[in-house]
Amino acid sequence: MISRLLRKNTSPARIAGFLLSNFIGLAIIVGGLQFYEDASSLFTSDDSFVKSDFLVVNKRVTSADTWQKGATSFTPEETSELRSQPWVRDVGEFSSADYRVMASVDQGGRGMSTLLFFESIPDGFVDAGGGAWSFREGEETVPLIISKDYLTLYNFGFANSAGLPQMSESIMSGIPLRLTLTSEDGSRRKVMQGRVVGYSNRLNTILVPRSFMEWSNRELGSGKASLPSRLIVDVSSPGDVAIKDYLEAHNLEVAGDKRGSSASYLLKVIVGIVLAVGIVITLLSFFILLLSMSLLMEKNRDKLHSLLMLGCPVKDVAAPYIRIVVVASGVAWLCAVACGEALRASYIRPLEGLGAESGGWWLGPAVGLLLTVVMTVVNVASVRRKVVASFR
Amino acid sequence: MLPRVFVAESIPFSDVWKSTLSLRKGNLYLIEAASGGGKSSLCSYIYGARTDYEGRLLFDGEDAAGIKIDRWQLLRRESLAYLPQELSLFPELTAMQNIELKNSLTGFAEKGRIEEWLHILGIDSRRDYPVGRMSVGQQQRVGLIRAICQPFDFILLDEPVSHLDEENNRKAARMIVEEATRQGAAIISTSVGNPLLMEGEVIKLKL
Repeated sequence: MISRLLRKNTSPARIAGFLLSNFIGLAIIVGGLQFYEDASSLFTSDDSFVKSDFLVVNKRVTSADTWQKGATSFTPEETSELRSQPWVRDVGEFSSADYRVMASVDQGGRGMSTLLFFESIPDGFVDAGGGAWSFREGEETVPLIISKDYLTLYNFGFANSAGLPQMSESIMSGIPLRLTLTSEDGSRRKVMQGRVVGYSNRLNTILVPRSFMEWSNRELGSGKASLPSRLIVDVSSPGDVAIKDYLEAHNLEVAGDKRGSSASYLLKVIVGIVLAVGIVITLLSFFILLLSMSLLMEKNRDKLHSLLMLGCPVKDVAAPYIRIVVVASGVAWLCAVACGEALRASYIRPLEGLGAESGGWWLGPAVGLLLTVVMTVVNVASVRRKVVASFR
Repeated sequence: MLPRVFVAESIPFSDVWKSTLSLRKGNLYLIEAASGGGKSSLCSYIYGARTDYEGRLLFDGEDAAGIKIDRWQLLRRESLAYLPQELSLFPELTAMQNIELKNSLTGFAEKGRIEEWLHILGIDSRRDYPVGRMSVGQQQRVGLIRAICQPFDFILLDEPVSHLDEENNRKAARMIVEEATRQGAAIISTSVGNPLLMEGEVIKLKL
């Protein structure tokens, strides 16, 4: 009977207005987050060794530099100038081997060998995990990270034409490489085992741990210190225009796949805009509900007062309004989740065709639910406050 | 105790204002005053509906100013009954629905009892009429029945019979006194000239 009395003056149009706007806002948030979860793997999942925030920078090679050794090296002044840029978190130098490397593989009785080169970067920039990325003096095996492009080059360029078997990443990692390291003058020589522990899309090199590089250069190098020709830079936001401007002004270029990081940045920006729009609409819908409940309760103020005068418990008087708030918000959330799922069903196949791994399905609905719960709690508190206000 | 509006005024002698008054269970009180004397204010103060007074109001020594809303609601269901002058009935509900709304909160009176009260006051034929279409006298009788659908220690009746003839006044008085006596409760009734005609020892107070 109480709820029949108090529901009088309820405006279905206002509730429907709230439902619709809250649904649209939440659907945008749920759909946007879901899309981000699903699409971000396109840009981020391919390199576990080097984070997308790291840029590999080198000087542009011009024809004038061809015979001029050291022209593309970074002097300590240039390095520290780069380090002082506001968007730089850390700078690491590439150091290269000061000796010759010959790698050979014994594959089903057919030997194969090639000249190689090694580079290393500070270990802090490599995230191989599990202690695989380390070398101690006296060890016979050297861990390597090679560019994914090299494997592709071998599989599709070389193996086909030379009649050699194609190799997957895991098979390649299982094959022991015989590394013969020879000093420049040929007087010193070491033979070691190499093992590929990872592949990178972002580093166009053959990477060894820094500790190995220091040790081997000491043992086999000529002792001449050489300046680094490539730098690895940890930047705070890869899409920053300031980075592009700086690199252009200093005639530098970024190696590796920079398209991925700027696309991922773009995706973040777009999803951010979409989410902001969704949040604004959701907030507006929240105020619609807040105001229409206030208006409804204002219209029924005499009744609220009379019910309290009869001794009705506050919670009983508030209950009909709280029910409207909870049911309307819950329905809007459910509809938004259903809409998000429908949206996902429509894009997930083409997206997977592009090579995306579908992400978790729960983030969108969970964030939507969190927003809904917060808004409902505020609304319920406001309803209760309004009831108490009509006590006297 | 004194309503704040009277603070700056000089008021005539009163048994209530600017004095200490003790109201006890089991007594019948008739509070008489001229219009504007503060009868409704007094009822509202005791019922917790208003607090614009100077002085103190104590329930068994407990200051009413410290009572929180949920406690007031409990007191209103279990200890204090009140028929306000404006009745505060819901006009869109029938007489019976108005009474049942209160009774459903307290679970106090059985259906037969309510029917009997309607019969005593002569409005049983109007039980299913929307209250809004009833005369003020009939509404007052509905309000009286609704007021006694609960356990109480005090029942506050603000000009409860202002629109009733003498015969109905007596019937109503008898019904209320009977219920109050049964519960060992006190009746506090106000009037500006048409008092509830209670039989028994009535303590008259001038406001």
